[in-house]
Order: sequence, then C-alpha cells, then structure tokens
Amino acid sequence: MDSVLIIQSLISGIMMGMVYALLGVGFSLTWGVMHVIHISHAAFGLLGAYLAYSLLQYFGVDPVVSAAVSVPLLFLVACGVYQLLIRPITKAKEVIVASMILTFGLAIILENVMVLIWKADPRVLTPTYASGALIVGPFYFQYPHLVGFSLSIVGITAIYLFLKKTYTGMAVRAAWQQPEATQLYGVNLYRISMITFALAVSTAGAGGISLALLNSFEPHSHNLWLIYLFLVVIVGGVGNVIGTAMAGLIIGVITGLSMAFLPYQWVNLVTFGLLMIFLIFRPHGLFKQGV
Amino acid sequence: MKGKRMKGFSLLMTIAVLCGLMLTVPAAAIGAGKPIVIGGSLPLTGEFAETGQWIERGMRFWAEGINAKGGLLGRPVEFKIYDDQSNVGKAVTFAEKAITVDKVDLLFGGYPGTAARAVMPVAEKHKVVYVSMGGHMKSFQQGYTYSFGAPPLMGEWWYEGFFQWLATIPANQRPKRAAVYTINNPVGLALQDSIDRWTKKLNIQVAINEKYNSPLADATSMIVKAKQMNCDIIFANGFFPDGVTTMKAAKALDYNPKAIVQGVGSVVPAWIKELGADGDFVFSGTSLYNKLNYPGNDKLNAYVKTKYNLDGYPLYFGFGYAWMQTIEQAVTGAKSLDQTKIRDWLKTHKVDTIAGPMTFDKKGLPAPINFCTQIINGKVELIWPKNIRTKEPVYPKPAWKK
Repeated sequence: MDSVLIIQSLISGIMMGMVYALLGVGFSLTWGVMHVIHISHAAFGLLGAYLAYSLLQYFGVDPVVSAAVSVPLLFLVACGVYQLLIRPITKAKEVIVASMILTFGLAIILENVMVLIWKADPRVLTPTYASGALIVGPFYFQYPHLVGFSLSIVGITAIYLFLKKTYTGMAVRAAWQQPEATQLYGVNLYRISMITFALAVSTAGAGGISLALLNSFEPHSHNLWLIYLFLVVIVGGVGNVIGTAMAGLIIGVITGLSMAFLPYQWVNLVTFGLLMIFLIFRPHGLFKQGV
Repeated sequence: MKGKRMKGFSLLMTIAVLCGLMLTVPAAAIGAGKPIVIGGSLPLTGEFAETGQWIERGMRFWAEGINAKGGLLGRPVEFKIYDDQSNVGKAVTFAEKAITVDKVDLLFGGYPGTAARAVMPVAEKHKVVYVSMGGHMKSFQQGYTYSFGAPPLMGEWWYEGFFQWLATIPANQRPKRAAVYTINNPVGLALQDSIDRWTKKLNIQVAINEKYNSPLADATSMIVKAKQMNCDIIFANGFFPDGVTTMKAAKALDYNPKAIVQGVGSVVPAWIKELGADGDFVFSGTSLYNKLNYPGNDKLNAYVKTKYNLDGYPLYFGFGYAWMQTIEQAVTGAKSLDQTKIRDWLKTHKVDTIAGPMTFDKKGLPAPINFCTQIINGKVELIWPKNIRTKEPVYPKPAWKK
C-alpha cells in the first residue's frame, strides 16, 4: 500500500473529523447539561452556512469573517428559541423525549424557512481559496480543509476554556454535576441553561460554515449532518468537550484509513458500524460523560 | 293578447341575447366541462426538490398552453400534485391515492428514477398510463405495458454520445487509462453499462473501478489514486454533491486528466452557477436539450428567459413539459380518457415532443438517445451528434486555472 495515499487519506480524514467535532460539541453540551437532544442543532449549523453563503455572494465577505457575524447572531436567536420553546419543556416529565419531538419540528420549520429564502437549489461555498492547497512534499493540505480544521480548533478550545476558566462556565459544569446544589449556591439554572443552549447553537453556526467549505449543501443537508453529530457525541461521550474532539479525530482516522485500505463502498459501513458497536458495548462513549 | 305578444317578444329577445352572448364567449369556455384532473407526486421538498420544482414548472407551463387553446378533449386540465418529500415510499402511496381515492383522470411522471421505478408497477396494477423518465433499463424490462419513457432518462444510454464522439478522435489522442468512481445506486450502476462496453471497444484500460455509497464526504483519496495511476480520464458517476466534491478535490490536487465525465450532476443549472469556471469542460449525457431544433423548444426558452431570466430551459423543466406533451397527444389521438385506449394509441403512433419524434417499442421506450454535452464557458453545449452540435468540444481538458 502506497504510504503517500495512506498519509494523504489520514490528513483529509483528520481535518474532516475535527469539523464534525466542532459541529457536534454544542450538541453534546445541550444533551449533557440540559438533557435536551437538540435535533435542530444541525439545521442551525446549516443556517450559519447559508448566512456565510449570502455574505460571500452579495458582499464578498470571507466565510471565516462571516462567522464573526453569524456566531453572535445565532447566539441571540438561540436565546429567543430557548425562552420561547426550550424552557417550557424543561419542566416536562420526559425532557429528552419532549425535546426530541419539539426540536424535530423546529428542524422542519427551519428547513422550510431556508427553502423559502434560499430555494431548494444546492449551494457551494466558493471563497477564492476554495480549490487551492498547501503543498508540502507529496502531500496536499486543501485550504478549505485547513480553514475548517483551524475554525474547529479555535471553536473547541474556546468552549473548553469557557467551561474551565470562566465563572459562568464553571456554573454550567456544576449544573451538569449537581443541579440542586448549584441552585442552592444562588446560580440561576434557567440562565445557565439559556447560555449553554445559545453557546451550543453558535458553535453549530461555525461548524456549519466549516462543513460547507468542504461539501455542497441544500436545505435538507442538516438531516445528513445530524447523523455525524450522533456519531461524534456517542463515541466521545455525552457532554464531554475533549471527548467530542477526540471522537472527531478518531472518526477521521478511521474514515481516512478505510478510504486508503478498503473499497469505497465499505467506508460508510465501517464508520456507522463503529456507531453501532459503541451503542452496544460502550453506550456512554469512549470518554467519561460530563463537561 | 297584448300580454301574450309581449311574452313572446321577451322570449325571442332572451334567446337573441343568449345567442349573442355565446358568440362573444371564447371557444375554450364553450368546451369547458368538468376539468380533467392529472395527479401524482413530485419531490417538491427534500433532496430532489430543485429538480422536482422544475418538473412542476414545466408541467404547469404546458397546462397554461393547453387551457389557453381550449383544453384537452375540450375540457380544462388541472393538476393534483402531492409533495412526496423526495421519499420513494411516499411517491408510491401518493400514486395509489391519486388513482384509487382521488380517481384522477391521468397520472403524471415522477422523479427521481427510484420513485418512477416504484410507481411503474402501481400504474400497471391499476392499468393507468404512466409517462415518465422511468427507472433506467431494468425498470422497462419488467413487462409493464402501461409505462412509457418520453423521453426516458436512461443511465445505460447516458454516455453513449460521449463514446461515439470519442471514437472519432484519433486513437493516439484518446485517453489510455480510466478511473471510474460510481455511486452505488441504480442510477450509478446503470451508467456503468456504456463504460464497460466502450472502454473495451476503444481499448481504454480501466485502472480503477470502484463504487461508493452516498454521502461522499471527501474525494481526496479518490483523486490521489487516479493521479498516482496516471488515469487520463475520470468518470465521476454520481449526482451534484459528489460531483462538486470530486471537482473541488481534482482542482485542489491539480489533477489534470484529458477528460472529466460526470454523471447527472453537471446538467443542473446549479453546476454552472455554483462552480463557475471550475465546472467547465465536463462531459455528460442527456436525453433532452434546450437548443434542439424541434418545435416547441424556442417557445420554452423564451418563457424561461422572461420568467426566470435563464438562457435556455433547465433539463427537468423540459422533461415535465415533454411528458405532458406525450399524454396530450395520446389522449387527443385516442379521443378518450380510457387508459387502455390511450396506451394502445401510444403503442402504435408517433408522438412529437420537444425531445424529437418518438415511437415506442414493446418496453415503452423510444429509440436510444445519444446526446453528449460539455460545459464550455459556463454553458451546457451539445457536442454530439455532430449534425446538431452547438459548439466544438474542448479536448483535452485545459489545466486548472489557479
């Protein structure tokens, strides 16, 4: 087996895996902290991709720069969505089931809004570097992969530092571990949940932009992205930021190696076979659950 | 007496006024009886929504025209269109519903091939004529008698025109080694048929022949392999998303084969719009083309220019229109809505469509179609057959512009 092919496949796989990790980290947080399985998470990511597309098409704004607009915008939108839709269902007896049904509906609404605004046509994010590559010896580091990978590293590190180093972040972690005790210390759980939810949705926006740099997208693409979200979260452990990042890397490595060694028609089988194995033998994931 | 005369006079006046009114009423309204309902489903949302919406637009444009001319058999036509959300199961359910619950007068063709293929046995079971793209050759080999492809979308014929053209290139200038990457579904597998036949005939070695399952997240390793094995022609037998992923990887990795042949993704308007110059010089096939010199194409092109500011109608707009043209001629020819009479008429008569004249064989198929297209300067050009060529093909493909 050719070593160039193996290493090149690994490079692409790892970079792609990290993009899935960025998209998945917020999904993992809402699931872990709030027990909300946010099915419309990927649809918000897609919204970020569409915003980047429009900003590029009409104002020539680079997708990375557009993240500076879409991330705060999605944060605000998510605060509203939390207050209107998510907060009421946190009182439900079965929050997980209720949240899945509710956010499934929200995903359908978002998809149709995107069809109305951007039509059903497929779109491609094509900044000037869309098809370029950094060549190092015999290896090609495609610029969109590099940009997506860098965004992922920045996004995941920012979330990690927020959780570890800020008061609000520590409150989020405390709320995950001991919600009642956290409330006794005067922490407003609803406020913490709203920040967690909004933060998660904003990272989805950045993840959506990263993924859109690699593949074309359409209003229904979030359904496909959602599968990868489940994959990284289940492999990485619910609510675990570092676990999600590691899961992204592992999935990337496995996908890359599968593409180098196996017939292509087996690649998805191996990737999703991995999901099934984890669900059966290690449903809590590779890493400890929790933020 | 006077009263009786007045009554008689009033009656005469009423009749005269009514006659006068009838003269002023358009012919269409005279024949306007109960509308003819044409039903079925299209993927108006979901994965194939863009295509489904163009088919609907083409059908509605046909309906506008036929209603303005006085309708079909003197009756206006109207559609009952369900959105199957790009779901084959729903397409079958809606076909059943249209036939058995709505009791529509006619059934229209669906999309994609997987949906059409699943609806064909439903049409056969209920003995209802079904004019559509079909689901490639296998779907027409099931012995159905009520299904027609007018025109069909046949993967088996898709690259026929490309290879016929390639055969005209001097042997020493033809590609020597091919990389074939095929999406693992009925469309992709159907595309392989002509590749297998023609690569042997033209002495092109198939160095890579691999299938992949959708979604194709990354094409880097595919391109690396093709490059390493010196493949000077690549067949990317897939849809729009995998086509885009492959093209982006080919450019990023500076892979410059003599020819890139792409499945069904490169003939949708989004290919040119979204990829720009990077989408140029890609070869593909088609069963219909907006610059064909058959009656009706000019009218359709003028309409999409006014309505959508497009230079030439999109392929699936044409498909929707052509299928309805076929139904129109069959109903008019059979002078009836009796499905068996319509079927029998189609089996024995020629229809004239924007895709050309067609007669159907036992399977419900016209003679093989062998159009080859190439994207040149952001336009889909017809390069084969030679007698209807709109532009000289660009070969070998120029290197990527960095």
